[in-house]
Amino acid sequence: MNLAINTKNISKSYPGVLANSNVSVQIEKSSIHAIVGENGAGKSTLMKILYGMTKPDQGEIEVFNQSASMSSPKEAINLGIGMVHQHFMLAKNLTVLENIILGIDKPSIKNLGLKKYKKLIEEVMSTYSLDIDLDMFVEDLSVGEKQRVEIIKVLFRGAKILILDEPTAVLVPQEVNELFKNLNNLKQNSVTIIFISHKLDEVLEIADDISVMRAGELIDSVKNENVSKTELAEMMIGKSLPTPPPRSTETKQNKIIDIKSITSESVDGRKFFTDVSFSVFESEILGIAGVEGNGQKEVVESIIGIQNIESGEIFFNGENINNKTTRQRLESGISFIPEDRQLQAMIMDMNLTNNVIIGRQNIEKYKSNLATVKTKNAIKESENVISLFDVKTPNTNTLATALSGGNQQKFVVGRELEDNPSLLIASQPTRGIDIGAQSLIWEKLRQSRDNGLAVLLISADLEELIGLSDRIIVFYQGSTVKELSSDDVSPEDLGGYMTGLKK
Amino acid sequence: MTQNIFRSIFRRYIVITPILLVLIVAQMEEYSQLTTSGTFGAAIRLAIPIMLAGLGGLYSEKTGVVNIGLEGMMIMGTWFGAWGGFTFGAWQGVFIGMLGGALFGLIHAIATVSFQVDHIVSGVAINILAAGVARFLNVIAFEDIAFASSTASPRITGDIGKLTVPYLAGGQINGEETSNLFGYIEELNIFLVSDFAGLVLGFLSNISHLTIFALAIVPLSVFVLWNTPIGLQMRSVGEYPTGSESLGVNVYLMKYIGVTISGALSGLAGAYLVIAGTGIYLEGQTGGRGFIGLASMLFGNYKPFGILMGSGLFGFADALQLRSPKAVHGLLVIIAIFLFVLALKTLFEKKYIPSLISLVLSSGFLIWFLNSESIPNQFVYFTPHITTLIVLSFSNQRIKLPEKIGVPYKKGELN
Repeated sequence: MNLAINTKNISKSYPGVLANSNVSVQIEKSSIHAIVGENGAGKSTLMKILYGMTKPDQGEIEVFNQSASMSSPKEAINLGIGMVHQHFMLAKNLTVLENIILGIDKPSIKNLGLKKYKKLIEEVMSTYSLDIDLDMFVEDLSVGEKQRVEIIKVLFRGAKILILDEPTAVLVPQEVNELFKNLNNLKQNSVTIIFISHKLDEVLEIADDISVMRAGELIDSVKNENVSKTELAEMMIGKSLPTPPPRSTETKQNKIIDIKSITSESVDGRKFFTDVSFSVFESEILGIAGVEGNGQKEVVESIIGIQNIESGEIFFNGENINNKTTRQRLESGISFIPEDRQLQAMIMDMNLTNNVIIGRQNIEKYKSNLATVKTKNAIKESENVISLFDVKTPNTNTLATALSGGNQQKFVVGRELEDNPSLLIASQPTRGIDIGAQSLIWEKLRQSRDNGLAVLLISADLEELIGLSDRIIVFYQGSTVKELSSDDVSPEDLGGYMTGLKK
Repeated sequence: MTQNIFRSIFRRYIVITPILLVLIVAQMEEYSQLTTSGTFGAAIRLAIPIMLAGLGGLYSEKTGVVNIGLEGMMIMGTWFGAWGGFTFGAWQGVFIGMLGGALFGLIHAIATVSFQVDHIVSGVAINILAAGVARFLNVIAFEDIAFASSTASPRITGDIGKLTVPYLAGGQINGEETSNLFGYIEELNIFLVSDFAGLVLGFLSNISHLTIFALAIVPLSVFVLWNTPIGLQMRSVGEYPTGSESLGVNVYLMKYIGVTISGALSGLAGAYLVIAGTGIYLEGQTGGRGFIGLASMLFGNYKPFGILMGSGLFGFADALQLRSPKAVHGLLVIIAIFLFVLALKTLFEKKYIPSLISLVLSSGFLIWFLNSESIPNQFVYFTPHITTLIVLSFSNQRIKLPEKIGVPYKKGELN
């Protein structure tokens, strides 16, 4: 077998996480090799190691049967490895041509030789049947075209192995087809392609070999012909699940939030979600399962009023809230834990006291007669959150950015639970935090649920979802495809519905 | 083809309309000063420092560093230029002035690039520091020298030299007068032709060697920034430093180079004021030209020739104000007509409110013009600034700012 890349027992750990453990993968020359796995399964770490962006703690890499140790992307490029990042590394106000040749010449004062380069790049483009107008500004290109520029960029630097990090995540379906056509062309011209994805349909369409990663380990490498989508989903998600602790309280009968066939689309006409209906009862956790990008994020955002809806109605405690502003909704008793705590939940350069008031400056507790905030109450409040949620911080005057991720998240959850809301929307409440903080947050969510809170839980972590939720609804391509009771759901089932395999 | 030409002419109405209007108004006897070679010559002299400061801003901002310290670097250029000019001679003074500016550019680079100080804060600090340093140095260096005070230096030694092109503009060859072709045409007073001859004559006669040197920097900058590997790397650093770094570009070095060149050019601008102008350093001599240079950079949309145009406009208005306050009165009708054209244009684009405002302003200026013989002196001094302001605010073009301008870059951090 003619190998392009052969890794032997690669391990890499970050503080508190084993990102890769004993990964051995063989990638055949002139093939498309897909690496699939859930978020956080270690795909990206493996790619960073192959591209020289991080060094493995142990293990060996062979590139074209030669032992290689790379300490920078530059060395990887010299070995013929090129990477197309998910976020394009392109300068908007430069032309395509300038972007491609940037960094090839030493910074000297001589003529750039744009004509010469243009001819050379055109040769590369015709070899691999890729097409783009070199004189356009990158700003004016579509997403698919930008991606093509990135591919040409690495090919022009002599890459024979191409790493594509979630290349289809940003593309619309037609662009995906175009990309796949291009990739097959590249394969025929003896380029090896490593394709990272978590979309099984696409992987089965394009890849020759598929490696599945889960929790930092390489589960298996299989040929496309020998595997079914179900088997892949099973390998990806895993079978073992912890038994959820039995709950002692009962779900009440009254609906806290009732959503009736809402629909929303983006400005360019792409549908975010269509005809979505569900409701959450008092004292219930409703889990939302779905592969990222299937509309669940937008549905949640439309409940708190960040996302507009074209049709349908949202009832909160029996009252139609379609026309209420986000602040009115929050003040009427909806709490929201956004998925990105650093971007959406906190202001990193403010101290904890200020972070506790954000968005709540109008509620009675903090309002004084003048147009000022009652700081004393705010300090009391944040001290309260700190002690109840075991946030490790010197005092309430500490900047949010000084806290560790787990403590930030505990603070956010505590803040959102503080005013006794009747609905909590928790989006990825424990993503990327340590196990201690995770179990504390789970415990608090269960407690609040038992005390009557309705929780809408969105999580990519299926263990968390099944363990916490009372019911689970599954999103696929912008619609709810299935409602399940968490007592008798198996992860295979869930994976099947999430990937559109089961209906 | 012809359609394209018309379209591109129409798109540049903002530049073309005022030029046409100036030409037409200049045909009136009382406003003939508008287009004489003398006016143009003065305009060039006044425009060069602004242009150099604008180019300085360009080099810095293209690498992503906001340089509001141009004024301070220019002050250093005036003092070091005068000191060098007094101690060693004119050309040495130019060089030392550039070094002085570059030194302050380097300080700005160290603060903003290495220590990630906010660009505006550092720039303001540079401006304040430079004013103090210049006075301090002046007191120390010229303590016992005649004709020097705490705010002024003695006269520079030597002369930078001037050029008048023979045959075309009546320059001398071996001490003998030659014909003055463009001067002859200018005196004929033919519509357009004579005005054009005046413009050319302004460039050809009695022109300082330093002016030629400065003007040569414009095409040179186009070459360096757009046609060399180092220029490409410098521009990429202002656009997307993370991406550039991943392609092996030394981001910090490029920023350092850009900001230091920026300082050197501002220093040259200051030295020009001294060596091609007054001959001595005076406190407050720069008079905010560094900031106007920044405005000319925006007006020129980050293009060297655009900066030349922008500073030329300011220089023209300044020259007019100095040479012929009477001709400034003619500008009123030009502004009125220009605003009227603008009103029509916005009307076609169905932007009714801007159109109405333009129309009202237009008639206001027209009434003023018709009911007055001259403009109050106070307004005359103000002409260059108001002209720049009007053109800047109505130019309404899409300015292409570098993407990551003013954003501090830390190695290894994704942004």
